[in-house]
Amino acid sequence: MKNQKQKKRIKILISGPFSAGKTTFIKTISELEPLTTEKKTTRSSERKVKDYTTVAMDFGKITIDDEHELYLFGTPGQTRFDFMWDILGKGALGIVVLVDSTNPETFHEARQIINYFESRYPVPMVVAANKQDLPDAWTPEMIKAALNLDVEDIPVVPLVATDKESVKKVLLKLLEEIYKEFG
Amino acid sequence: MGFSGNLKDFPIPDIFQVIAKEKKSGILLVEWKDLIVAYYIKKGQIIFARPIDKITRVYTERDFEKVIKKLRVDPKKISQILDRYLIQRLDNKEGIFSLIFGFIRYTCSEKVYIPIEQIIMLASRQLTVSEVRRKISDNMLTFGWVKEKKEILKRLQLSPVEKKVAELIDGKKTVGDIRKKMFPTPELDVDRALYGFWSAGLIKRLRKGKRHKPEGLTLDLLKRIIEKVKDL
Repeated sequence: MKNQKQKKRIKILISGPFSAGKTTFIKTISELEPLTTEKKTTRSSERKVKDYTTVAMDFGKITIDDEHELYLFGTPGQTRFDFMWDILGKGALGIVVLVDSTNPETFHEARQIINYFESRYPVPMVVAANKQDLPDAWTPEMIKAALNLDVEDIPVVPLVATDKESVKKVLLKLLEEIYKEFG
Repeated sequence: MGFSGNLKDFPIPDIFQVIAKEKKSGILLVEWKDLIVAYYIKKGQIIFARPIDKITRVYTERDFEKVIKKLRVDPKKISQILDRYLIQRLDNKEGIFSLIFGFIRYTCSEKVYIPIEQIIMLASRQLTVSEVRRKISDNMLTFGWVKEKKEILKRLQLSPVEKKVAELIDGKKTVGDIRKKMFPTPELDVDRALYGFWSAGLIKRLRKGKRHKPEGLTLDLLKRIIEKVKDL
């Protein structure tokens, strides 16, 4: 067997509430078909939204060069899986928190995720306001106000998770934030 | 432009928080279980409330001065009207709301009878445990004052419990610490006060220490990651 050099792994976390679009985000940008751990939704309120949900993590990859790989880890949205945030959050380069812009109910969960990380492992973070292509979508400015981010340096950027260019813009905004912080 | 939702998912203090922060004018329509009320907003303040029979009516009557004349409202009674159709309804959790910014014309003379920050505090006092936990979700949360603290405090009438909670906010104590110091005051009352302060824009969440640079991250590597993502 060929002795391959182990590539260094860089990790970005894609977090957010149930049905915010984390799996789609990773699928859109990953260079390989992402590994997902989806199970049938069991709660009736969740079944109304979608049939399957992520229970452990989604996982996508972007090769940077011969030595480095960027891994995108998607964490389950429901707060009952918050132990996963702990496991996956440690050592992350940054975090993208997704919200469903058409569903204000999901804003609270996004706030809980931000509270969690900002109180424990503060890393550069952006909020991506997904589903901006839908008619009832709240604007990124209003989501920023709703999440109390207007006085904090956490940007809120528009997103359509099915569109590769839109996903790239979100990742680039996060990388820009990381550059500002450590550059 | 505006937003809509259900009061069960997005409670009143949060709606008013967005209105206060956006500082725009428009109309908030709330379809309560028993009544539809139009709330007139001028630059982020609620200045009038009016029960309506048809939603379309508010969109056809765009001149606020004419609305007041048509309804024969005595300006001295506006605070009583706001009390009846807004303040007394703050404990009501069922209904749907929609807010549309723009389209309504105001003059310069409309008065603000109850500052929106005070309405937020009053609404926060009605929150349930599960509602409060959506925002005050973590024992380790730490708050500090915003620059505009003095001006906002002038517009608020805090309860004795809220005053005590305010005295404990120093940018160091966590929510857990404040709850302990406030004992035997029920946690719910402490959390409601913090929820109200945060929604009213009086306090802000503080980050725990500096952001840590991940091991092995160099400027050169970061530039390469950025270039790679651009080329995808």
